[in-house]
Amino acid sequence: MDEKEKSMLEGDLQDSVISKYHSDLGVTHTQKVKLPGFTTQSGYELKELEISYQTLGTLNPAKDNVVLVCHALSGDAHVAGINPKTGRPGWWDFHVGPGKSIDTNKFYVICSNVLGGCSGTTGPSSINPDTGKPYATEFPPVTIRDMVRAQVMLLDYLGIKKIFAVIGGSMGGMQALVWAVDYPDRVHTCIPIATCMAHSAMQIAFNEIGRQAIMTDPNWHGGYYYDKNCRPEHGLAVARMIGHVTYLSEYAMHKKFGRKIQRPPQPEDLFPEFFSVESYLQHQGESFVKRFDPNSYLYITKALDRFDLLENRHPRDVFKNVKARFLVVSFESDWLYPPSQSKELVKHLKRCNIPTTYINLDTPYGHDSFLIKNPEFSKALSNFLNAEYRNISQNPNNNNHR
Amino acid sequence: MHKNLYDIVIDWIPEGSTVLDLGTGDGEFLERLIKIRNVKGEGVEINPNLVTKCIERGLVVHQGDVLDGLDQYGNGVFDYILLLGTMQELLDPQKVVNEAFRVGKRVIVSYSNFAHLKARLQMMFCGKAPVTSSLPSPWYKTPNLHFCSILDFQDFCKDIGAKIVKSAYINKAGQVKFLPNLFAEYAVSMLEKSSETPSRKTEISYDPAI
Repeated sequence: MDEKEKSMLEGDLQDSVISKYHSDLGVTHTQKVKLPGFTTQSGYELKELEISYQTLGTLNPAKDNVVLVCHALSGDAHVAGINPKTGRPGWWDFHVGPGKSIDTNKFYVICSNVLGGCSGTTGPSSINPDTGKPYATEFPPVTIRDMVRAQVMLLDYLGIKKIFAVIGGSMGGMQALVWAVDYPDRVHTCIPIATCMAHSAMQIAFNEIGRQAIMTDPNWHGGYYYDKNCRPEHGLAVARMIGHVTYLSEYAMHKKFGRKIQRPPQPEDLFPEFFSVESYLQHQGESFVKRFDPNSYLYITKALDRFDLLENRHPRDVFKNVKARFLVVSFESDWLYPPSQSKELVKHLKRCNIPTTYINLDTPYGHDSFLIKNPEFSKALSNFLNAEYRNISQNPNNNNHR
Repeated sequence: MHKNLYDIVIDWIPEGSTVLDLGTGDGEFLERLIKIRNVKGEGVEINPNLVTKCIERGLVVHQGDVLDGLDQYGNGVFDYILLLGTMQELLDPQKVVNEAFRVGKRVIVSYSNFAHLKARLQMMFCGKAPVTSSLPSPWYKTPNLHFCSILDFQDFCKDIGAKIVKSAYINKAGQVKFLPNLFAEYAVSMLEKSSETPSRKTEISYDPAI
């Protein structure tokens, strides 16, 4: 079995069964901070904003080695190292750590859970201070820009003005784009991976199927299930199963499962064949519901669908103040966020004279290509970060080579 | 390709120019050009492994074919477009050169001379497609889709309305001044859009719906 197949079977670090995993970072922790007041883009005021975040590495005296990692839909602040609560490695441990692409010996890595999430940052499952009960669906709709503004508040709190690199895949890539556009003076390099400027109808459609699965689960109760015995777990599991299929590729699924049968037929089985892929998806669904809040899934997928970087403005107007240098990465086998969407972004950036490097990697793992062990991706990423960092170290007064 | 050829190109490009290198490979030449001439340069390369090497050198590079690479840019944003050793591998060189004139002011092209003495002798006496140091692969393995001589290239330029500003001809011994079409293995020319033909810069405003 070659390395590619091994990586494919191993999968990502989020929900796959991990028997033995060694993280060079050992056990790492997340922290929480309570910040006062946050007004969402929709005008709703949250009295307090709690943010869960992780920092790895050391902030250097010049404060020029900050790498902000933005997570995707189902990620959290625990980016790398072993989580002491779950015993599992962080979701990007393949790429973040000492000597890895995002080298914690060199960079000060920050990752925070998004606004609307359910892993420590304020979201629908958080307690509303006005009522003493979870917000549930009284929580205001959030946007990708809201998520970024929450990160801005965190960085202000941490006393960090300038980010050397903002990086993220999928929804994380959208956040990276917003950072570069809305905070041009704070971002030196921007690395959007497998992302887009706005969801297509197909991307919205898959999310809507997921949302319907949750909202039609009798245990959803309009979102007010927190004081009930049951959560809409079945709906969330189905949503995750659909989502997970869209993150893989036909090739990866065929290699991983083929038409393998999971176990001999049982007397209670309606149909005799129980395929491995069915078992795998059920496991994915079951493991996801243990760590994710169904309402958060609704809020975050809707934020993804509503995201539109251009919002009917001319790209020149949107990108006119951008100072960041870009590395845009896409994956040939990614059919959920296809390379054509990255190419569209690249063309706008380049036509607006923004220094943009584009690489489309021919790795076979689908949208998940950035989450699993992927040496081609690691190499491109580390080469870019190292070259750019070398550049600012050599020309500290000329941070933007424009 | 001959080392001298790249030095000639470096000599031709003035300090501080803007350059787009099509088919930039691992970026070694572009990096050298940026260092020596202090140019603002970007590259286009189709092979992701080579793109990764360009990234390692800190170059701005676009992964894609030559036409896709040119399509990323607006009109007249570069002083020089480089097509070094790439032209004969292109399906439609005319389309590429025309597109290059939209994006850049001058185009520098290098190619292998199919009418070099050795090639002629092999054709004449062996009756086979030539395999020489400048045309090293047999017909079924060569990346070249088009074979041309220096005279053919001059006709091509006339045909597409490009003016040859300057040329250099090279073989193993160095520059060739005498009967280049017979003695040169490689040629490099700087082209300019001929003033007799109307300018092709039709795309004035940038359509956001690309």
